[in-house]
Formats: sequence, C-alpha cells, structure tokens
Amino acid sequence: MEWNKIIKEIIILLGVSIISAITVNFFSPSGIALVGQWDEPPGVIASKAISDVFSGELEIKHVRIAKQIYDSGEALFVDARSLEDFKNGHIKGSESLPLGKFDDLIEAFEKKYSTDTFIVTYCSERSCNDSHTLEQRLFDRGYVNVSIFIDGYQGWKSEGYPIE
Amino acid sequence: MNNNLRNLFNNSWIEIALRWILGITFIYASYYKIMSPTDFAKVVYGYNLFPEVLISPIAIILPLVELISGLSLLLGIYPRSAALIINGLLLAFIFILTINIIRGHEFDCGCFSTKKAGSPKMMVARDVIYLVMGLQIFLFNGVRKGCFIRLDRKT
Repeated sequence: MEWNKIIKEIIILLGVSIISAITVNFFSPSGIALVGQWDEPPGVIASKAISDVFSGELEIKHVRIAKQIYDSGEALFVDARSLEDFKNGHIKGSESLPLGKFDDLIEAFEKKYSTDTFIVTYCSERSCNDSHTLEQRLFDRGYVNVSIFIDGYQGWKSEGYPIE
Repeated sequence: MNNNLRNLFNNSWIEIALRWILGITFIYASYYKIMSPTDFAKVVYGYNLFPEVLISPIAIILPLVELISGLSLLLGIYPRSAALIINGLLLAFIFILTINIIRGHEFDCGCFSTKKAGSPKMMVARDVIYLVMGLQIFLFNGVRKGCFIRLDRKT
C-alpha cells in the first residue's frame, strides 16, 4: 500500500474540507462564531451565531434574584417551552407562551397584558436559548420591560421554589 | 481469510455499492449540521467531552469533512483515502458514544438530525456496520468502478 500517496490525498481532502467549512460558515446566514460561550457559570451557553439573539444585559443570572422579583409580585413570568412541558410543571403563576406557537398566541396575549407589563421569560435551563428568543419577539411586539431568567424551570425547581 | 470472504472483499460490485451507500449516508448526515450549526454545536457541547475552545471549531469543520469525504466516495475521487477518513470518524464516534454509555451520561446523538433517534447502543452497532463497509472500501484491491480519478488502479 502506498502510504505516501494516501497521506497526500488525506491532506488534500481535509484541506478542502477545512477551507470550505470556514468559507461556508463565514457566508452562511446561520454561521457561528469560532469561539462560543460554552461555560455555564457565566451565563447561557451559546454558539454566538450571526442570527443569534444574545441579550446579556437583560439576563437575570441568579435564581435568588429571580425569586426576589417573583416575591415582589410585580413581574409576570412567561414560559417559552412547549405547552406539554408547561403542563408537566412550571413556575407557579406563570403564563405559557410557547415560542413555536408565538404567532398564533401573541394576539390573545396582547389583549390580556399591556405592553408595559414587567415580564420575565424563562425556558428549561441554561442550555436553552428560547427565553432569549422570546424576549426578542416580545420586544418586537412593543414589550419593552422584559428580562430573561436564564436558569429556567430546572434552576427554579432545584431551589425548591413554588411550582405547579 | 478464507476464499469466500476474500472474494467478497474483492468484488468490485460490492465495493461500488458500499461506496455509494456510505457516501450518500455521510452526505445526508452532513446536511442538517451545515444548515444549523447552532444546534449541532449544542449537540457537541452535550457530549460533555470537549474543551470549550474546540466545540465551535468541531461544529464548523466536522460537517464539511463528512460532506467532502462522502462526495469523494460517491464520485470515486481518492476513494481509499476518503474511506480512511470516514473510518477514522466512525472510530471516533464509536469511542465517544461508548464513553457516554459507560458513564451513563445522557446525550443527544445528533448523528443525522437534532431529533433524538434510537438507543445509544443501536447507534454504536450502526457505526460498527458502517466501519466494516468502510474497511471493505479501504482494503479493496481491484479495479474500482465509476471512479473519476483512478489513482489507485494497478498499471
């Protein structure tokens, strides 16, 4: 077997792959950053895609602070997960607005809650981005007072805070 | 190796069939990863094996390695080397899946789509079958059919 030839061919194939990978990623609308945010303690994990919503300053990064806001009774907690997940358990008193059904449900939501409502969005945990996307979608509909509780339902539940 | 097995390994029709099956499988597998790198990066993260700096580069480069190797198997461009790359990937997949099965870490395979599919043990079995197919292509010693660049033809 001619290993020299095989090694040369492998270098060519891998070289073409790497060059096209970088090119495709650069031009693709769904391309991602070369260095993402893959460490959970500082915040939500994210690939920092070009199309990604990344609203760091709106994040509530501690469950304790989310609980204080919850206890103040001023905020409406909105669940971005599917209706099925919501039915299986959610933060007590929260409203379901599944991201996948946003367009169908937003008009009813708008009738119920004015755009100055203080909203806290959440999804399941730090590895999901749906709460961020929901914040963006709500902002686009005129809701300017929206924060994101990044530890989500799992973080809330593990602290033993009220669920239903 | 007995004669029957050797004949199977050196049958050029079997070689081209396996090459196309493996090629199309890898092209198909690369599709969703190229279309939604964000989801695939999360799958890589979910395996809980790679250092942070490598997650995004893996998510960007691996799908194209799959695509280019798949294409070169299908078109018969450097088929032996492409089969070697694919066998290397398959060995890595088998290794990664096995580690996570042994330590009981729940993960999303992300092999063909972001939707969960099959049990992890089935995924390992499937990869082993692909690996045997890849070995046939790699070890095949005759004249390959349907190749654009027949560099490994004996002269």
